[in-house]
Amino acid sequence: MFLTPNFRLVVSAIIVPIASFVPLLSLTASAGEAQPDVRRTEVNETFRKKVVPFLKTYCMDCHGNNNKRKGGIDFAKMVQRPADGRFRSAWQVSLAQVRERSMPPEDAGKQPTDAERREFVEWVGMIKYLSPVDPGPFVIRRLTKVEFGNTLNDLFGVDPAIVAELPDDVPGEGYLNTFSPLQTEQYLAIANAVLDRVLGPKDGPPTEIQKKLFGETPQDGKARDAAKTVARTQARRAFRRPATDEEVETLLRVFDLAQANKLTYPASLRLMLKAILVSPQFLFITPAKVVEADKSIVPLDDYQLASRLSYFLWATMPDTELADLADKGKLHEPEVLRGQVKRLLADRRSRALFDGFGSQWLGVGTLKAKPFDAKKFPQVTPAMRTAMYDEVRLFFDSIVQENRSVVSFVDSDYTFLNGTLAPLYGLEKTVTGPEMRRVKLADANRGGILGMPGVLAVTSFPERTSPVKRGVWVLEQVLGQHIPPAPANVPTLEKQNQKQVANLTLRQRTELHRKNPTCANCHKVLDPIGFGLENFDAIGRWRDKDDSGGPIDAAGELPGGKQFSSPKELKGIVAGRKEELARNLTEKLLAYALCRQLEGYDEIVVDGLMERLARDKYGMQTLVMEIVTSYPFLNRQVAITNAK
Amino acid sequence: MPSKFLLNRRTCLRGLGASLALPLFDCMGWADAGPKPAKPPVRLGFMYMPHGVVMDQFWPKSPETFLTAPPPALEPLKPVLNRCLMVKGISGVPIAPFNGAPHALELSTWLTAKLPNVTHRNKIDIGISADQIAANYVGHLTALPSLELATMPQTHKENQEGLNEGYYTHCSFSSPKQALPAEINPRAVLNRLFGKTSKSDQPTHADPLDGKMLDLVLDGARDLRRRLPKGDQEKLDEYLDSVRSVERRIAAIEHRQKEAAQAKSGVPASKNKSSDSPPIEIKIPEGDKRSEYMDVMCDLNVLAFQADVTRVSSYIGSTPNGVSYPELGFSGEHHSYTHHGNKEEPKGRVAAITAFNVARFANMVKKMAALREGDGTLLDNCIMMWGSGLEDGDKHSRENLPFIVAGGGGGSLRTGRFLTGIKGNQGDLLTTLLGCMGVPLDRPLGIASGRIKEMMNA
Repeated sequence: MFLTPNFRLVVSAIIVPIASFVPLLSLTASAGEAQPDVRRTEVNETFRKKVVPFLKTYCMDCHGNNNKRKGGIDFAKMVQRPADGRFRSAWQVSLAQVRERSMPPEDAGKQPTDAERREFVEWVGMIKYLSPVDPGPFVIRRLTKVEFGNTLNDLFGVDPAIVAELPDDVPGEGYLNTFSPLQTEQYLAIANAVLDRVLGPKDGPPTEIQKKLFGETPQDGKARDAAKTVARTQARRAFRRPATDEEVETLLRVFDLAQANKLTYPASLRLMLKAILVSPQFLFITPAKVVEADKSIVPLDDYQLASRLSYFLWATMPDTELADLADKGKLHEPEVLRGQVKRLLADRRSRALFDGFGSQWLGVGTLKAKPFDAKKFPQVTPAMRTAMYDEVRLFFDSIVQENRSVVSFVDSDYTFLNGTLAPLYGLEKTVTGPEMRRVKLADANRGGILGMPGVLAVTSFPERTSPVKRGVWVLEQVLGQHIPPAPANVPTLEKQNQKQVANLTLRQRTELHRKNPTCANCHKVLDPIGFGLENFDAIGRWRDKDDSGGPIDAAGELPGGKQFSSPKELKGIVAGRKEELARNLTEKLLAYALCRQLEGYDEIVVDGLMERLARDKYGMQTLVMEIVTSYPFLNRQVAITNAK
Repeated sequence: MPSKFLLNRRTCLRGLGASLALPLFDCMGWADAGPKPAKPPVRLGFMYMPHGVVMDQFWPKSPETFLTAPPPALEPLKPVLNRCLMVKGISGVPIAPFNGAPHALELSTWLTAKLPNVTHRNKIDIGISADQIAANYVGHLTALPSLELATMPQTHKENQEGLNEGYYTHCSFSSPKQALPAEINPRAVLNRLFGKTSKSDQPTHADPLDGKMLDLVLDGARDLRRRLPKGDQEKLDEYLDSVRSVERRIAAIEHRQKEAAQAKSGVPASKNKSSDSPPIEIKIPEGDKRSEYMDVMCDLNVLAFQADVTRVSSYIGSTPNGVSYPELGFSGEHHSYTHHGNKEEPKGRVAAITAFNVARFANMVKKMAALREGDGTLLDNCIMMWGSGLEDGDKHSRENLPFIVAGGGGGSLRTGRFLTGIKGNQGDLLTTLLGCMGVPLDRPLGIASGRIKEMMNA
């Protein structure tokens, strides 16, 4: 089957997984996150006195005045509520455009001075301080395909692959939550398949798991009471919270329906169990308590918190220990919660953090299906794809488990290899056999994600490298910068004489298009980074010459004037930008944990998080811990209920 | 039992590569047939290829030479060109302010004729698509309201202009905020079409109480809904809607089974005529050749229409970006070749990819033309549209969207012609096709301003 991955110039940055809720502690932001009103007043004043005049002078003729909203940007509206989360991306785009001098356009009547540009960029960055304290919405969400499979596995011991036919989830706010008839049908089908697998045949003896689920068959006359006990017990597990009396009653009605149709006791329970498996309380993560009508921000209840936490770190339902703590109402206690984070991270199931987050962040989730030119790269076998993925996975995992600094994602001196992967490193003599193992690296060009075959491959075309893709990848995924999309109607490249171009290296050819001023603005930033990695071919092997036979020139310069001449030096420069690296990872992981994009107030949360992270040498476990105990993870904003 | 009847007759499913004989339709009729044999219903299908075409390889030289000397891209359609209709002059939706995301927009505007919501670009918020408008109108008459197919997982990861990633991979939207996932696995499609419920070949017992059980679950969900805040309620509504639609589907299948059982016992029902062709065979390919894979998806579409399991379909033959065609002897991405800068080699590859996709479509409509239905063929009663959301992928232009309509639309379409000098847009085109199907619209579809009367029989 064709699973073609895709990848393009701008690799998506945000990995909103799927998620859902928010729990607990206190309603007030912690000290590091609170913003004094003084600051807000100050920023507000600066905004009125500086930003607004700038916009009026240079921008609003096309973006706001007289209903003109070029590019969908309407500053007239934005200046009224600058901190409104809806405008966040518009501010980011504006900031990037002004900084990169793409705006105002060259033919505009007035151009801001360099100083004005700098000030504008700085002030726009302050808008976050105008945001009210807000944990963000936490709308109920359905389990993702992966979570659904894992949860069924935990409940019934069935292979998670039982959900294989569900459509794959597309990450992104709004989409994951949706529910189509196709999915409902499949949920019903999967419920049937699960029960077929774990329950005994119609008139046959019960299976072990059936005995566990259903208990003893009751005597005549006691069936409904016994069914009630089963309903309560199974719903507690499947709903990840105690079922309400109404919910139990609904399940009993299903039992009654079966009995009225002359089904046996086990067959009636089967139907009831199926009802649990297609209930929204199972398919969605729902709160246990009714929100009081006058509250707009509430802490997550302990059950919701347990689910949020375990789906975040394990991609599956809470285990017995978490469930017990929720039952006792202790989970939200800070010490208890921290202890659980440690325990969950130490558990094997925390591998889900890579499969769900890490692989998306680093882009290697597409490796399995990425097309490679089979003639050029015959070594890319399924085993090779797996090894490439596993290398990144084990590396990520080692940073989590050993609480290493997030900087070591870029700068490390070890990796994980097996006999399949070793030849790409030129280590085929020392590393053999199918088993992945930790290998100390002598070559400083390697070690860290910038020199990993899996990453280098997914940022290449099937047949050749793409310095542009790699440049974008480093800037966006590693350093967290926002790159504006290519302008419309890009003039076609390479109208050059074919013969003249034929002998140029890829670098020389790519540089040709930087002569075009439209392209040059961004590409002068993107391309050099990609060139810095040109020593690695499209599957991550070292090379000294490119496809044209010309020598690789890996020299370049990052914005800010840092020069490099090899992957090793590029790596060193990127690793030196700790703040950016850490902030980027923090933002991405927080968005993943919250299952939504970050908005205004979240930036303040991130600021506080960054301070504590820096104090703790950027430890990866510290990062996870800080996220789980952060205000937006523990609380949720709710729209005013219209019913009690 | 009716359900057994359905399942037991499906005996050839085992093993990859097996042919599937599906002799169960001889007693299935169109559900809305009255006492006398009804006129066959009109079906509407869409098939997509991204990135546009090489224009001089695609557009016919002139209306006069359309049938006699078609351009290279249309070669595979030659035997059925008199059942095809081409129109030059249909423009796509102007995509400003999303100029940096031409490929998300080419697909997502294709059947909606509408731009995503500019302010909430990160969320799916566009318009209901033409296929889903049709499904809303005729979907209750068939077991499935509509069928959404695709060739690859809809998980392309890309984020341009801050647009939700779902815009790169979906063309069907059941509401402005809900993109419909598509089936990519032919076996799963087959199971879905004919009521088999699990991926194992063991027939899962289709539980006769499922419908009533779902009803009780729905009641319970309504209780839950009352306890939730507003945002949560909206999410839950999607669940409630989709469960209701599954209930309807179960009812439709039961109705079918009842009719089938009656027919078996000699009661005349609203059947297809005895002159109708037997159901086509479905052969699920073993390897990973894209041509075979796409052909089986097309076959499933034919079978679904032939058996009247649904009357509406969309098939994303490939999503924009990331797809390559090693089968054609080159390994680069389709998208890369389309930025050919007018150079011969990449241009030739784009032409080859286009021909490859048109050939899949041609296989599908030729099969339809060979199936007898009522007084004509299945194709006579279909409206099958193949197309792209860009004209020239090199420049991302969309002035003259390339598309081919095949089928008679139950007599509503004037085929065998190439129309030039038409001024219209994608919304007008979709409005016209919906009109041919008899679907009334209570508001303009996206940017539509009217029908393209030249395409229709008076």
